[in-house]
Amino acid sequence: MKKIYLDYAATTPVDKEVLKEMEPFFSKEYANAASLHKMGEIAKDAIENSRENILKKANGKDHKLIFTSGGTESNNFALKGLAFANKEKKHIITTKIEHDCVLNSSKFLEKNGYRVTYLPVDKEGFINLETLEKEITKDTLLVSIIHGNNEIGTIQDLKEISKIVHEKKSLLHTDACQSFIKAPIDLKEEIDLMTINAHKIYGPKGVGGLLVKEGIRLEPLLHGGGHEFGIRSGTSNVPGIVGFGKSVDLIKEEDILHMEKLRDQLIKGLSDIEESWVNGPLGKKRLCNNINVTFRYAEGESILLLLDYKGIEVSTGSACSSNTLEPSHVLRAIGLRQEDTHGSIRLSLGKETTKEDISYTIDSIKEVVEQLRKMSPLKK
Amino acid sequence: MEKYSKKVMDHFLKPHNLGELKKADGEGELGNLKCLIGETLLHTNAKLEKIKNIKKNNQIISHDGKYNIVTDIHSRNISEKIIILKNRLGEIKLTTDHLIYGVKIPNEKKYLRSKYKKKLIPAWYHAEDLKKGDLALYSIYSEIKDSTELSVDTTKKRWDYNSNPIPQKIKIDGDFLRLVGYYLAEGYYQDKVTKTNVIFSFNINEINLAEDIVNISKKIFGITPIIRKNPKKNTLLVYINNVFVVRLFKKLFEVGAKNKDIPELFMALPPEKQKHLIFGLWMGDGYFNVKIPRGGYSTISEELIHKIKILLLRQGIIPSIYTEEEKIDKNKQKHQKCYRIHVGGKESTTKLAKILKINLKNNKPEAINSWITNSFLYTPITGKKTEYFSGKVYNLEVDKAHSYNTTAFTVHNCGDVMKIYIKVKKDPKTKKEIITDIKFKTLGCAAAIATSSMITDLAKGKTLEEALKITRADVAKELGGLPPVKMHCSNLSADALHLAIKNYLEKNKEGDLMKVDEHTKLGKIIKLKGMEKILEKYNVPCLSCPMAKLEIDSLEIGEVCDNYGIPKKELILEINKKLKERDKIIKAKNK
Repeated sequence: MKKIYLDYAATTPVDKEVLKEMEPFFSKEYANAASLHKMGEIAKDAIENSRENILKKANGKDHKLIFTSGGTESNNFALKGLAFANKEKKHIITTKIEHDCVLNSSKFLEKNGYRVTYLPVDKEGFINLETLEKEITKDTLLVSIIHGNNEIGTIQDLKEISKIVHEKKSLLHTDACQSFIKAPIDLKEEIDLMTINAHKIYGPKGVGGLLVKEGIRLEPLLHGGGHEFGIRSGTSNVPGIVGFGKSVDLIKEEDILHMEKLRDQLIKGLSDIEESWVNGPLGKKRLCNNINVTFRYAEGESILLLLDYKGIEVSTGSACSSNTLEPSHVLRAIGLRQEDTHGSIRLSLGKETTKEDISYTIDSIKEVVEQLRKMSPLKK
Repeated sequence: MEKYSKKVMDHFLKPHNLGELKKADGEGELGNLKCLIGETLLHTNAKLEKIKNIKKNNQIISHDGKYNIVTDIHSRNISEKIIILKNRLGEIKLTTDHLIYGVKIPNEKKYLRSKYKKKLIPAWYHAEDLKKGDLALYSIYSEIKDSTELSVDTTKKRWDYNSNPIPQKIKIDGDFLRLVGYYLAEGYYQDKVTKTNVIFSFNINEINLAEDIVNISKKIFGITPIIRKNPKKNTLLVYINNVFVVRLFKKLFEVGAKNKDIPELFMALPPEKQKHLIFGLWMGDGYFNVKIPRGGYSTISEELIHKIKILLLRQGIIPSIYTEEEKIDKNKQKHQKCYRIHVGGKESTTKLAKILKINLKNNKPEAINSWITNSFLYTPITGKKTEYFSGKVYNLEVDKAHSYNTTAFTVHNCGDVMKIYIKVKKDPKTKKEIITDIKFKTLGCAAAIATSSMITDLAKGKTLEEALKITRADVAKELGGLPPVKMHCSNLSADALHLAIKNYLEKNKEGDLMKVDEHTKLGKIIKLKGMEKILEKYNVPCLSCPMAKLEIDSLEIGEVCDNYGIPKKELILEINKKLKERDKIIKAKNK
């Protein structure tokens, strides 16, 4: 059976080139990068090369790159590490459409005496700049706003946001897990802290990074042997970091254009299904590989399973597919009613997705939605 | 999340017994209700009715412009935010998620059809999603039934000696319809043994209207009315002194100005004929200002104003409706609550002027914000408010169209997420009732679909008793287990089955415990087997009259007897005796 993977926003495969780079560091150059011997030196050099390559790619001349275990740790570190090291300010601003790791870190801080403002978003998922400006006070330590949203693909205007945040003498953190390499960010000019990771860009799982502007103090979350500038201890994941270093070179400008084209083809192909719509913005303000659609009178988990049966792998914001039976907080934040969040699926493309894959997917979705709507007592 | 068992996936991918049963013996539904407040007025085929008083089998106008049958009624108590939407026809109060037929207008600017060339695609929108400026679509009653004649009850009673007989059949033509219009606007009747007449009251200078009535009455009834001038009061009264005419008008148009109504018979006439009715109405209570130009109509009958609304919409004329609360003016004169229709706009005033035979030259270009396409009025939502509501709310299920009209909006009926249909037959040997066929429809996740499919397998061939004993746990067990989070939310099929059985049992006990008293509605009695004969025996008059269909559901048997001098007690006794016999037969059958 044909297999079409359309869940690249969940994770990507590890690219062969990445794997090739990583391979020696498992059983050949296996030394601990903190060791002083020659083999240790080789591992250390590999890490530093990787760091340099990523910083170069991110235009991070004024930033430190701290390797972590992934996006979740980086986001935890950015919020909690910053808060614990700068206790004079007790207010944090974030949005209602963050990844759970930012939302739950914020809730943790709320329990520990911090005030957190969760900014609402409009129908397309954008925050309101005036609201942001109003909410920032002298007490605001950090504004943390996701760059490209993982569910609906909205890309926030970080340029304008950073102007406001910096004018008001606060710091800006952005979670760029979905957008890093795929959408431009002026790290040097705009961002104080930025979360990135490897497994969304054809790198390995289990490795990520936090880019931190020089001079910003962070309290370590992991105490130990003083790795990573003394603020993130733990034996370095050498093969992972090497893989990460390679992965930033894999998505090229033409890949982005290719994905954008296919994304718009898919959106257009689905547009003639009645009582359905795309969630999030269209065009350049949307992640190049994200599509999120709601179909009324069809439930997301059922769509997902029937597509799976046809070899197409997607994800859903439906409550029925989550452990808590809570619908996606992002879809709720953009104003979808609970019952409409039920009929939503997310498709995310990769550079290897083809035109034929998209045509097959469009046909299959039409078939599946039709099939489920026939079962539904609501759709007459 | 935990994976589904193979059996769940099998049932999900290839559901058993999926579909509907057309003539099901029982139906069980589970769903999420979206509702309207109880005071909401709906257009039934008889009159305006509050949604809280709507009964099963009532007929109401749907978005297809036709009457459709109410198949179920739901109500529940809420304490939550509700939404109030307004348009030119009135307002609606409903829960935030109730679906309304409309078009969302992308920009915030005032919408003008004349400037916007894109195709508009109507859809069902949740009330909370519509904003001021979006378009509401209101379906226009589009049934056309040309009735050409009206039968008149000319039975003479003891005290009718003074009245000359009138023809037994009356032609429903332009003249008669104009007279009906005059009557609805300015007429009333007296029905006493000494004074039985239909009276039309005009301003003293409206002699041309009075003369028109005289001519029509002569032509149709063969009766010459009397005109009386009262210069002191500045009035002109036209009397038709005839008991049969009184009875005809009484029966057709209800009692009292507040309840004046246009019966369905006239509402379904071809629009071309209805022009005469509109003419008559307007000559009475309407006005037309040629200078502005604008037309208007005012009445204290809410019923009438909404019927005129429909008449106008059928002509392609777009009305606005206003309500004026009861008030006391400067001269301490009390004014009753009244309802007004305004007609403005080039197209609408031109059409109305033509009907009223008024010469109107109106070349002014205008911006159009409301119009009629394909039997729908497109009109902007003019206001949106929210309000906290605590109390009972209602929704209906409507056959075929799954929608219904309030006085100002077209709304969707409620939706089920799971529906189970059963067919039941009695086993001739065991005498037990058995589920011989079962079907389902479900909107939901794999578990919801699989449990629905499984319950149909479990229930098929079982007796009702056995089927009632099937539990949610049984369904889960048969499916090889369900993920713990799905045990409740997706495992409701047993509940839906039990509802279907309950529905069957309720349907089939009908009749055996019924007892008739003088307040029982005639419509209810006539539906029972064998009753027609008894009613005929007692000369209950409505049975053969074409008007009867309109009244039969609302008339009480006692009322009918009183009106026609039928021995009430005896008739009711006989009906109940017959019912008892029927009951015995049914019980014997069941044994």
